Amino acid sequence: MMRDEYLSVFIDETKEAIQNMNDILLKLEQDMEDMEAINELFRILHTLKGMAGTMEFNTMMTLCHRMENLLDEIRNGRMKLTEDIIDRLFKGADILEQMLNSIEEGESDELEEVDVDSLIKEFEGFLEGKSVGSPKAEEKKEETKEEAEEEKEEGEETSIPIEITDELVHVIKEAKEKGYESYYVRVTLDEGTQLKAARMYLVFHKIEDLGGEILRTVPPVEDIEDEKFDLDVDLVVIAKQSAEELSGAIGSVTDVARVVVRPFDPEKELEKRKKKEEEKKKEEEKKEEAKKPEAHIHHKDDKKKRKITQTVRVDIEKLDTLMNLMGELVIARSRIVETLKKYSIKEVDESLAQLSRITLDLQNIVMKIRMVPIAYVFNRFPRMVRDLAKQMNKEVDFIIKGEDTELDRTFVEEIGDPLLHLLRNAIDHGIESKEERIAKGKPPKGTIILSARHEGNNVVIEIVDDGRGIDRDKVIKKAVERGLIDEARAMMLPDDKVFELIFLPGFSTKDEVTEISGRGVGMDVVKNVVESLNGSVSIESQKDKGTKVTIRLPLTLAIIQALLVKVKDFVYAIPIATIDSTLKITKEDIQVVQDQEVVVIRQEVVPIIKLWEALGIPHDEEFQSMNVVIIKMGNRKYGIVVDTLIGQDDIVIKSLGKLFSDVKEFSGGAVLGDGSIALILDVANLMM
Amino acid sequence: MGKKILIVDDAAFMRMLLKDIVSKAGFEVVGEASNGKEAVEKYKELKPDVVTMDITMPEMNGIEAVKEIKKIDPNANIIMVSAMGQQAMVIEAIQAGAKDFIVKPFQPARVIEALKKAVGEA
Repeated sequence: MMRDEYLSVFIDETKEAIQNMNDILLKLEQDMEDMEAINELFRILHTLKGMAGTMEFNTMMTLCHRMENLLDEIRNGRMKLTEDIIDRLFKGADILEQMLNSIEEGESDELEEVDVDSLIKEFEGFLEGKSVGSPKAEEKKEETKEEAEEEKEEGEETSIPIEITDELVHVIKEAKEKGYESYYVRVTLDEGTQLKAARMYLVFHKIEDLGGEILRTVPPVEDIEDEKFDLDVDLVVIAKQSAEELSGAIGSVTDVARVVVRPFDPEKELEKRKKKEEEKKKEEEKKEEAKKPEAHIHHKDDKKKRKITQTVRVDIEKLDTLMNLMGELVIARSRIVETLKKYSIKEVDESLAQLSRITLDLQNIVMKIRMVPIAYVFNRFPRMVRDLAKQMNKEVDFIIKGEDTELDRTFVEEIGDPLLHLLRNAIDHGIESKEERIAKGKPPKGTIILSARHEGNNVVIEIVDDGRGIDRDKVIKKAVERGLIDEARAMMLPDDKVFELIFLPGFSTKDEVTEISGRGVGMDVVKNVVESLNGSVSIESQKDKGTKVTIRLPLTLAIIQALLVKVKDFVYAIPIATIDSTLKITKEDIQVVQDQEVVVIRQEVVPIIKLWEALGIPHDEEFQSMNVVIIKMGNRKYGIVVDTLIGQDDIVIKSLGKLFSDVKEFSGGAVLGDGSIALILDVANLMM
Repeated sequence: MGKKILIVDDAAFMRMLLKDIVSKAGFEVVGEASNGKEAVEKYKELKPDVVTMDITMPEMNGIEAVKEIKKIDPNANIIMVSAMGQQAMVIEAIQAGAKDFIVKPFQPARVIEALKKAVGEA
């Protein structure tokens, strides 16, 4: 089939479906009675099965089919959802994902290293287990089957597939009197017909539409409904139509390969049918033989390499170059604007305005290319947290906030592992066992919150748990044991400094190293990764209350909008995103509260700092009125007092380099339109 | 002008596939719907000659949609699109008035055959 054309759509939609599947399974785990979720899951699997089948990914299709069957039983109340089943369904989702990856890489859905068959068997096992639970149904089925077989055997002996009872003869006789003809009808379906029962039903429907009546079917109707027939079904029909009309009507049904309609005469049919039976048997054998090599060919076909053209993968380095060029372009534009300001030429102004617009659009696009929602990293955590918690026999409520926070693509790739490590720690070290929690009077279920938000120039990611917290004494003891610090000094340290010890290489507080965490390499690796991204990580913890790990990453948006301000002859840039407002104050507006200078703005007390004091610039402070830039970070506000406000501009952030990595006041530098340099204030660190 | 077809399926992938198959055979796809509700609306609006109707869909499933459409137009030509193992549903749909059904994975020839039969061209 035309697979290549549809492959990328297939992959996209399947990916989405698998993600949904995981989400729903997590929901179901919370509430196994959630019928809506069960139905939704069933629907997803059903759709997936259809798609996989169409693309001829047969293993995938089979797996979906088994899971779907299972869910069908559950949603119809014939089976109960158990934890065991959910586990298996999760496994199924995993395998589907692996299959999809393999397909995406141009391989088939056959996974060499994964035993799909055994999982499929397990699903079948669940279904069988259910049947054992209700032996009556099983018996009944068995009975009808036996009956059918008996009937057939008898039929073979006498060579009549349709048993002629007195009743049948009687009914036909009566029908004849009313002007009905009786026919023997053999309907043969196309080979490969699917949903044969429904197809047959359509045939019956057709006959009844014509005013005919079906007196007898072989195999019996129940068996037809259960699809216990090969390709043909024998009927005894009474109708007013001629044999040709009847045959034409039945033949018009899709998938009907052959229709034989003959006046029903038991004596004559006897011999003919005997022959046919033999032929059919031979045919079947042939079919069986013919099937095998065909399947093999399919398999080979699956291995064919494919390419996907939906997205283009770009080397991140190229994007960086693009970003840099973009930066240069912005600077060049600012320069032209600056130069031409001196001469007011109307035509130039117009084209310049256009140039500005285009650069802005271009800039936005380049930036967007690099930005992705943090959901890309966060999405896989619910599953992992669930698995880990389960493994460690802990109950955890995992809450994600702010997953649509966007950050630079490079970060997304780097930050996943450190976050996972921190989550592991939270589950393993943080959250106590259920019994312990109850003993402490805490809710039996622990809570872990993973959140992300923008805060000025930073993306802040927090992992908060309500577990046992970090034991200060234990940390000190370990650190001393490991020779990382001497005891006397450690005792003097404030809590946050003590917790920083955890980040030292080779530190682990857990007495026993578990499989999940506590290898003692975790935290220092976390710190290293975060710092390599120019970020920082800090820990707050309270015994028995919980732990909060905060990761701050800079926004590497290389170009930002900034307000340029001046103190003496120095120009500084403040990112617009962090600015709440600007206002003018006089000396008299400044009050002192607890050694802190503040101003009252609309009944709100806002602390202020004078930028020249913060940066140590000699300043005579003679101004009567002063400009204040109000910075807003989360719920916190503070003001920066500067000499003059210059104006708003696009600036290109350039890193200050390794040498100045200790400088906390500035997050970078920028080249301005006139070629001069402005340092970018790191407002988060300016006022601690 | 080819006969007008309305394609109903919740998976965009399936719709795309069907659309390709039927338009290659000279039918005109006049509309697509991703659930039963939408299908009923679209049916009223477009009056297609044939509807291909998926069974499992969110909002309103295919069987309900068949019933609704039949209420509007008792002569509506509806072909169910079913996956394997939906026997009972297909039968229900036929009882509700569906004319025929096709089974996923599709075989283009079968799809075309069913469509042609539905519009009386074969």
